[in-house]
Amino acid sequence: MANLCSPFGKPCGVSAAGSLYVLRALDGIATHSGMQHSKARSPGPGERAIAACSLAVLAAVLAGVCIRQTRFDPAVMMSAGVPPAAPAQAMPGLLEKWPAGLSPMSGAEAFSPGTLSDKIDGKADLYLSAGFVSLKDQRVALAGGAGSWMEMLVFDMGLPANAFSVYSSQRRPNAADAGIADYSYEADNELCLVHGNYYVELVCSDSSDPARRAAETVARAYVGATAVAEHANMGAEQALFPPEGLVAGSIALVPSDVFGFDRLKNVFVARYRDGGNEVTLFAANRGAPDEAAKVAAELRGFFVADCGGRETPAPPAPPGAAIFDLGGSFEAVFAAGPYIAGVHQAPDRESAQRWLAVLSRRISGAHP
Amino acid sequence: MIPPDPGPGPVATRREFFRRGLRAGAAIAATGGLGAWLWNRHPPGDFGRTQASDPRKDFAVRAAGPRMAIATGRDRAAMLRRALAAMGGIERFIGRGDRVMLKVNAAFATPAILGATTHPDLVAELARLCRAAGAASVIVTDNPINSPESCFELTGIGAAARASGAGLFVPRQGSFRAGTLPGGRLIRDWPVLDEPFAGVTKLIGVAPVKGHQRAGASMTMKNWYGLLGGRRNQFHQDIDGIIVELAMLVKPTLVVLDGTDSMMTNGPTGGSLADLKATNTLIVATDPVAADACGATLLGKTFRDLPYLVRAGEMGLGTADFESLHPARVPAQAS
Repeated sequence: MANLCSPFGKPCGVSAAGSLYVLRALDGIATHSGMQHSKARSPGPGERAIAACSLAVLAAVLAGVCIRQTRFDPAVMMSAGVPPAAPAQAMPGLLEKWPAGLSPMSGAEAFSPGTLSDKIDGKADLYLSAGFVSLKDQRVALAGGAGSWMEMLVFDMGLPANAFSVYSSQRRPNAADAGIADYSYEADNELCLVHGNYYVELVCSDSSDPARRAAETVARAYVGATAVAEHANMGAEQALFPPEGLVAGSIALVPSDVFGFDRLKNVFVARYRDGGNEVTLFAANRGAPDEAAKVAAELRGFFVADCGGRETPAPPAPPGAAIFDLGGSFEAVFAAGPYIAGVHQAPDRESAQRWLAVLSRRISGAHP
Repeated sequence: MIPPDPGPGPVATRREFFRRGLRAGAAIAATGGLGAWLWNRHPPGDFGRTQASDPRKDFAVRAAGPRMAIATGRDRAAMLRRALAAMGGIERFIGRGDRVMLKVNAAFATPAILGATTHPDLVAELARLCRAAGAASVIVTDNPINSPESCFELTGIGAAARASGAGLFVPRQGSFRAGTLPGGRLIRDWPVLDEPFAGVTKLIGVAPVKGHQRAGASMTMKNWYGLLGGRRNQFHQDIDGIIVELAMLVKPTLVVLDGTDSMMTNGPTGGSLADLKATNTLIVATDPVAADACGATLLGKTFRDLPYLVRAGEMGLGTADFESLHPARVPAQAS
């Protein structure tokens, strides 16, 4: 109960009693002013009616506020965020000194998780689900490039693994290794790289040789000028995948909702050629054997309860492995040490069992 | 509980009276100060002062009936001309004195070759055809949230509009008007692009075919998203719902869906030419639902893969069974 305004040392909140106190306070001041009343009296019917009306109005306002708040009103939510105009922040250039032949077309801009979609619209989810921290971008013109230009986008993903996640999930099928930083590739007009916790895209307005060379020069300049914390690369997890049959460049780190299961996060996946088909192998380090076994059990439950899968006879190896028939597509899962691993969308049970054995041997060899 | 009557109390001294008066004044001032501190000087769009209007925009030419054409080839301008001819000519939709708006997709400041935005060749040819059909004016617009001037210029849309004699409308904060869509759940008291619609008699949506990370695909129906102002990114939480409401909001004269190159991966921004596939198709239709259902096939999908198309069809906002419109198919060699 509010207790805001009693000059008489008594509460005057929103209650019938409080209202009477207010009336008495006014009465007291009037008495002191010599206006009337030689003795105190009980409130009259008029005063009680006024107090009751006041309380009724307050109750109606309160009810109105409560009703209004229960309804989703995007217009109100709009006011709670960043002002609609100019959500991006102007800031110094992404490079202190751009390589020769390149000149900034504009100042750099910065975007936060709240404004990322202003820049990349529906693709923002990909970054946000992977731990996005901030984006800085800037465009530069290529001298003598007949209108050629390049946009540099630097995503701070917080952790190297997050940066690798967005890098690997967008890798183009015709990408060629660029040999820059931790990971990098070139594809037509674009060069992408991972440098520590940063994922960098250099998008050229055309795929000419001068534009591609400029992108490479800028990439090297950025890596040389940008210090990152010492970090381990993700080679250990990637080494779990056998090289035979691996689709080049297909190893990716999926941050969340892997295979539609919301408890399965930060999982490495790799695609393999299997005759005329493709299968996906997956592996994730859960930190401890207990945790890996727990997630594996949950995934098995997910295949049956949510995907309508049917468990097939247990494969001979590895121990505890299970294979599920999801209407003609086969899923396999097992836990080994801190790893949960398996096979996704194998075309038949034999294929699932074969890849399961291969992956199991790799994990056992790496972590006996 | 009513407090007991205190009965006759001691008469206050003058000092006591002023002390109590001072306390009362301080309490009133503090309450007023608190109210001023909590007061939102910038309510959402100042909508509280005005009644939200009905934002629906109906520019359909019903006399023309439902029509659709699917042209194939690589030359966008030629495909557009052939498709319109197969639908009875642009004169069936645009008449003398019409004031035409071309709603393009200029959402990103990326070059036209990346296929993330409406191709400038289509903008130029559409504007030219409208003028040739007797249109009094043609304006080109979209509402890119980030750096709209850069978006229009770097996509080539601005230059194409100027070269073809069309006007370019770059929205500003005052270009929007609060609107509540009748029957809408999301578009309520929401800023909808209004200013450039003054005097407009025909509306043509022009969009590329793109995969979309959240919606599955971005085509002509998703293109109306650019009519929304404010912090519209929150609608991504119900992307299918907002696209359906946009179909309720806008009834265009025509839509042009450019599937010359379709963005198969990493949409809606793309970034690499490797994201594109030459699908060599241009769709023109009076029904955006039909156009998008046809466009979905270019992405290797059917309308059943896109929940907003299913819902729009069920709600009678168009037909997802685009073959029921008996689209005119215009092969490349027919030119």
